[in-house]
Amino acid sequence: MSETTLFKVALALYACALAIYLIYQFIYQFRGKEKLGLAGWSAALLGLLSHTAALIHRTVASGHAPFTNMYESLSFLAWACLAAYLVIDRAFKIPRAGFLFLIVVLALMLLANSPLMPKEITPLVPALQSYWLWLHVSITLLGEAFFAVAFITSLMYLAAASREKKGGQPSGLSAEKLDAISYRCVAVGFPLFTLGGLVLGMVWAYKAWGTYWSWDPKEVWSLITWFIFALYLHTRLVMGWKGKRSAVIVIIGFLLALFTYFGVNYLLAGLHSYA
Amino acid sequence: MIQSILRFLSSVKLAITLIIIIVVVSVLGTLIPQERSVGEYYGRYGGLATLLMRLQLTNLYHSAWYIALLALLTLNTVTCTLTRLSPKLRKTFRPRLEAEAKTLLAVKDSGSLKMNSNLEVTAAAVRQALAGRRYKARQRAEGGGIIIFGRKKVLGWFGSDIVHLGLLVILAGTLISSLTGFRAFLKLEKGKAQAVPRAGFEVRLDRFDTDYYPDRHNVKDWKSRLTVIEAGRDVRSEVIEVNRPLAHRGFVLYQSSYVQEIKSSLLVLEVLSSAPPERAQTVSLRPGQSVALDKTGLTLSLLRFEPNFVRDNGGLISSRSEELNNPAAQVTLSRAGENLVSGWVFARFPEFSMTHGSKASDTKVIFRDIQPGISPDFSIIEAAQDKGVPLIWVGCGLLMAGLCIAFYWPTREVRFLLEGKKDKTVVTAAALGSKNREALSSEFIGLWKALKDQT
Repeated sequence: MSETTLFKVALALYACALAIYLIYQFIYQFRGKEKLGLAGWSAALLGLLSHTAALIHRTVASGHAPFTNMYESLSFLAWACLAAYLVIDRAFKIPRAGFLFLIVVLALMLLANSPLMPKEITPLVPALQSYWLWLHVSITLLGEAFFAVAFITSLMYLAAASREKKGGQPSGLSAEKLDAISYRCVAVGFPLFTLGGLVLGMVWAYKAWGTYWSWDPKEVWSLITWFIFALYLHTRLVMGWKGKRSAVIVIIGFLLALFTYFGVNYLLAGLHSYA
Repeated sequence: MIQSILRFLSSVKLAITLIIIIVVVSVLGTLIPQERSVGEYYGRYGGLATLLMRLQLTNLYHSAWYIALLALLTLNTVTCTLTRLSPKLRKTFRPRLEAEAKTLLAVKDSGSLKMNSNLEVTAAAVRQALAGRRYKARQRAEGGGIIIFGRKKVLGWFGSDIVHLGLLVILAGTLISSLTGFRAFLKLEKGKAQAVPRAGFEVRLDRFDTDYYPDRHNVKDWKSRLTVIEAGRDVRSEVIEVNRPLAHRGFVLYQSSYVQEIKSSLLVLEVLSSAPPERAQTVSLRPGQSVALDKTGLTLSLLRFEPNFVRDNGGLISSRSEELNNPAAQVTLSRAGENLVSGWVFARFPEFSMTHGSKASDTKVIFRDIQPGISPDFSIIEAAQDKGVPLIWVGCGLLMAGLCIAFYWPTREVRFLLEGKKDKTVVTAAALGSKNREALSSEFIGLWKALKDQT
């Protein structure tokens, strides 16, 4: 099968998973609900497998890492986000986050698939021909994927907290549990982002440009994102902030990470203008 | 007074305020293009430009006040870490073994149990249960009872300190880099050697190759073969390319760029003779070269090449730019020292020429092509010396190790209070740990069960 076919199969399976999760969330409220959640998870996993095949196909065809232009990196980010969600769901059982998550993943996939993103394989410029490309980009995006899970669970926290405040019953997941899950996601995402985005970025910059830090907009925005999550950890672990304020910081942090990834390329020129 | 300054400097609130300020101004620095010319700022911001430049927002990251903010955050990190370190060290190495049943039972994972053994035997059982789960136990007799603290992964308490230490080492590295770092760009010509400034050795460019992808348009690689010369002797030869620098005696040489002197391109010219016998001959040559044409006794000379030909009102000829917008070649066609044709021919306009010379009006020179894929003439090599770099990598290592310890090596502590009642003992215990409570809970339950089984 060609890369496009595999990509479209993945897209269709993700849409199926979204439909199942929507039914799970809003329609079906009877016995056997857990099985429905598992069906959604399985459809998403099948989609992920097809997506993985598409990424491998592209890597083989192009001979370089599958994240050297916007189409490739959006596709890879969608892949990483879904992989992160599937892992977190196995660990903490959050099928209620499923439909929100698949909306994010599908949005990334559709954006990647849109005519705005050129899909043809382009030869790699000399600066990107390095194994550091694999390490730097994949680990950074994986870290950002865990930030995305933290973002969704924080949004769910805010909804659950306001529902509980009004005296509503916690449906499925309590606000407290969501708060804890969100922290656990940051606990995975933050070290990954630090390693991929900052440390390996510096190592590669030193090898390729002769200087480990150049105050390039992408570097500055990565540092800003890193600072916000550091702020989150300090307020939470030292000052004991939890709940609403923590959730708001995670949401801001994720939006900054998104801007670092996406906005900087289109709005600010700099050394990282490859995509 | 000093105390209150210290308290201010070591507060987490200061850290948070500073982080927020640094984040906001850093955003400004990415929105305003940095280190451009004064003219560009006036063109872009008008009257506002003066203000921006006075506030150093146009070179923010090297401005005194931005560096002062970073320095203050550093000072804050140092004092904050140090003031928290000494109680932590005391807690680690000389803990005060104190416990009250009431406070222990207030903890989430806690319990109380009556055992049918005397105090000493129970204490031994507790220590054994702790040792079975790799806890290190400390014991103290108090009043009529015994207090036991079991601990493991004590390093976990210091994860954040290791992270902070890593950050400080990185900052020390950047300080050394900015104070002693040195970089220079060398424009190396093929076959020629140049001294690397301050380095005490020379480098010679032996070869400079440009590899193209099969489409012949996109560059795949630039490779410079460099030879290091020390005191007139060739020491080592290596090929460097982007992402593969050469390190020698503390200096690192990078493939940075190249210069293609477009004016020395290889041009394809055709000499057409319309008088019988009709003949056409194609030759390739560079500016300054001449070539004798077969059998005709003619010599074609290429005097000059302008990639973007323009002639001003005074008749002065030049190039408007280095782009190939209107490539023009100045040629002469001569026989036995006598010029038959001389003047300018144009690649874009083969029918048009600015030539004179009547004697051979049946002979024409046509500018056919500019040879593609010629390799550049100069390789730009960046030579850098940066003594801060090793510290940066040490700091990064500490940073990552600290993060892993802080998140995934949580210290666990189980406190026991044993109170003897004749030949029976009441055991009260609580498990303490701030991170990963679920794992701690299950471990506590296991520990508790092991003790219960002995009753």
